[in-house]
Amino acid sequence: MRKHVLLFAFLFAGLSMQGVFAQTTPAHALKNVTIHHADGSTTESATIVWRNGVIEAIGTNAAIPFDAFEIDGGDSLHVYPGFIDGFSTLGSPSLPKGQDLPKLDDPGNPPYYRSGVQPERKPSELLTEDKNFEAIMKVGFTTAALYPDGYMLPGQVEAFYLSSSHNNVGLIKGPLGLAGSFDTAPGGWSSGAYPSTLMGVMAKFRQVMFDATALQQHIKYYEQNPEMPAPDRDRVLEAMFPLVNNSTPLFFEVDSKEHIERILKIQDEFGFNVVIVSGKEAYAKADELKRRNIPVLAGIDFTDMPKWYAEMKKEEEKDEAEVEQEEEAAEEEEISEEEQNYREKQLEAWKAEVTNIKKLMDSGVSVGFSSAGLELKDLSAKIEILLDEGGLNETDLVTLMSANTANILGLNRTHGSLERGKNASFSVFDKAMTEEKAKVLHSISNGIIHEFNGN
Amino acid sequence: MKKLITLCLILAFSTTAYAQEKGSVLIQNATVITVTNGDLEETDVLIRDGIIREIGKDLNAPRGVETVDATGKFVMPGIIDAHSHLNGVDINEARNPVTAEVTMEESVDPNEVGIYHALAGGATTIHLMHGSANVIGGQGETLKLRYGVSQEEMKFENAKRTIKFALGENPTRVHGQGSGVQPRTRMGVEQVVRGHFDEALDYKRKREAYLEAKAQYDRRSRGTPPVPVAENLRYEVLNDIIEGEIFVHCHSYRADEILMLMRVFNDYGIENYTFQHANEAFKVANELAKNGAMTSVFSDWWAYKFEVYYSTAYNASILNANGVVNSINSDNDQLLRTLNHEAAKVVRYGDTSVNDAIKMITLHPAIQLGIDDRVGSIEEGKHGDVVVWDGHPLSIYSKAEMTFVDGIKYFDLANDPDDMRIQINPGSDFDDGSNFRKIVDNRDEDACIQDTFILLQDQAQTHAHN
Repeated sequence: MRKHVLLFAFLFAGLSMQGVFAQTTPAHALKNVTIHHADGSTTESATIVWRNGVIEAIGTNAAIPFDAFEIDGGDSLHVYPGFIDGFSTLGSPSLPKGQDLPKLDDPGNPPYYRSGVQPERKPSELLTEDKNFEAIMKVGFTTAALYPDGYMLPGQVEAFYLSSSHNNVGLIKGPLGLAGSFDTAPGGWSSGAYPSTLMGVMAKFRQVMFDATALQQHIKYYEQNPEMPAPDRDRVLEAMFPLVNNSTPLFFEVDSKEHIERILKIQDEFGFNVVIVSGKEAYAKADELKRRNIPVLAGIDFTDMPKWYAEMKKEEEKDEAEVEQEEEAAEEEEISEEEQNYREKQLEAWKAEVTNIKKLMDSGVSVGFSSAGLELKDLSAKIEILLDEGGLNETDLVTLMSANTANILGLNRTHGSLERGKNASFSVFDKAMTEEKAKVLHSISNGIIHEFNGN
Repeated sequence: MKKLITLCLILAFSTTAYAQEKGSVLIQNATVITVTNGDLEETDVLIRDGIIREIGKDLNAPRGVETVDATGKFVMPGIIDAHSHLNGVDINEARNPVTAEVTMEESVDPNEVGIYHALAGGATTIHLMHGSANVIGGQGETLKLRYGVSQEEMKFENAKRTIKFALGENPTRVHGQGSGVQPRTRMGVEQVVRGHFDEALDYKRKREAYLEAKAQYDRRSRGTPPVPVAENLRYEVLNDIIEGEIFVHCHSYRADEILMLMRVFNDYGIENYTFQHANEAFKVANELAKNGAMTSVFSDWWAYKFEVYYSTAYNASILNANGVVNSINSDNDQLLRTLNHEAAKVVRYGDTSVNDAIKMITLHPAIQLGIDDRVGSIEEGKHGDVVVWDGHPLSIYSKAEMTFVDGIKYFDLANDPDDMRIQINPGSDFDDGSNFRKIVDNRDEDACIQDTFILLQDQAQTHAHN
């Protein structure tokens, strides 16, 4: 018997070897680069070899295969694990403008899509051209969890390999969860519908869950007993079944402490898992989030630094000679005690916002990254604030945007770090990413090289 | 053992989530307006751990309990506003004539600085209400003005559940004229109420039958399974109204519509309800008293739309004289700060007794909210929600000096900083952000219908174009 097993093992091994050879493509090797790992360590003069989208070897002793296409980093290039945007509407069809929607005959009973309930929508079926696909790769992202733009239940969240063209943006993993928010139904004043308020959205959410529960029960009964009346199948409600069954998480975009409390209340009622997205005030609920094991895909779309504080910092950076000169030129600005008190509170509020991620990390909450509405052009400025004022160092930042986000999305077996056997998704910068004017020269996503030449 | 530990942990967490901070204080030598037991001169009130423990003379302060010398001052129960939209995130879910399923409990903004302003006027509890756009609007939430706590902690624990109804012009304008759906007329309003109660009763029968059949089928696994009837939040709430678990607060003005709703409620056996505004209630004071219906009115505010022309400043006094439990409400963030003046007007206009007028802003609203066993008067065992006034609270010259909720001082005139906002938007400069000091100086036309004016304007424009 044992012989047979061995024989089979060889047979399978042979088959699989054949498989590899049959589909083999040349390897790529990037040598003489500095690799920045997700855990903060760096390897200098390293080589990274990948083939068919998988890292074959990485490190200072990685052997370059004979068929590899070699790129020499000349000891000046920096490689980072591909950043992952944990929640984005990249490539989503744009929404019709509220005023373009026809006025409803009965706004109190709108069809699902008009109330913002569209959990059946999948980004993989809807992706359209979006110039930001390339733009986001140019700042170091190789991977993203996408969902269609919408309202309270806009659709499903799926993970994708990025590419400059939406046709080549490839699905990594099907539904990671459902997207949600407290957004009211579209249409504005002229063509709006129920729910038009926060409390309406909360009630509508519950009713959709109840209706889905009943439909699922009906389908189950009908399967057991086809003599009963057949259920009215409904793809919207059926897309809610995983949430009803607590088998998929709800990615919920909220910022204020009060909104976080509201979604936790709904979680208590239905029991599904929640991933907080954006979560500007999540720090205020850090202990609760930790206790419930709720991760946060934090946004960094911080409010602009208070103007007076920005000016004060600029002053501090000037050398003394300059200050003296200016002091002669202008009297120092005088402000009232009341305004001074206001400034203190304002700065406190701003600091609370920019240290959100740090506080969550320190509290032991699992924190990843999501662009969550951030304009790409603002990304580097926001990252700078995160490093200067937010208490994060470069390692924290890389971990946040790679390993942590991969963990939260359940992609950590393939993504989030640079190791042998993991997906070849990484970015090549011309200098360390935190240095001024650092640029992405190449973005490798699922092994495919996208060249940007720093433009 | 493990189970026990888990249980303890669960208990620990659940209590921390709802635990309220309570305070202790001894207020000495004041004129205490008890509301239920006359005015007691040179009297002390001892509040311990949030509860009034003792009312009497020369009480000793227990160790560690702060004392307040109130010689020459008045102590009154905290003012209760039975009609407020003070800190609602949204007020009107105005897209359907019936929205019983929505609740102001989920529309509470605990950071609203107006809460502090209200405390400065001696208010301690408000009834945060849904607006009057819908025939059956959303559920209300009774809040204690514990400024600085979370939305959950603001809730008045175990207050009676309430809901907003609205009759007359608002729902017919918003839905009939605005959206072209029922109700377009007062007749339609009645039918919306009756129709929904009937649908709710029908739903209840079907839902209960389904649950029973389901239990049987699931147990035996034979026979034909029942077709599921989904839980329906709206009908569940409507049934709770019919079963008396929810007090109705109905926006109304005209005597005919007040009589109409009493007839409807009698048909469905609904007993606990208050007519809000009710400017013509004086015309049907006897009928109201006979039905045990209550009213919550303005002292002297009217003529802001057609259905509010037939009004009188004697309304509250007439209702009171006829044995109707009546309160005076604000429906307005500015007026909420001076409800004592509104009560004083009832004395001035209708010669109602001072104590009865004070009842209209304390005990009576408490009765209407189902919290009179805990607040609304100064009695041993009631909550330590009291206000120290520098003179008689119905005097135009008097100021609230200290406002206590659960024995905790939330307002102190002697320590009243300019900027009491809890939440500062870091994006606002001082000049933008300093507007907090500008308290509403105009009375809104009709706060009850806020968020929906534009619906009406839109409608007017559509008509103009047609």
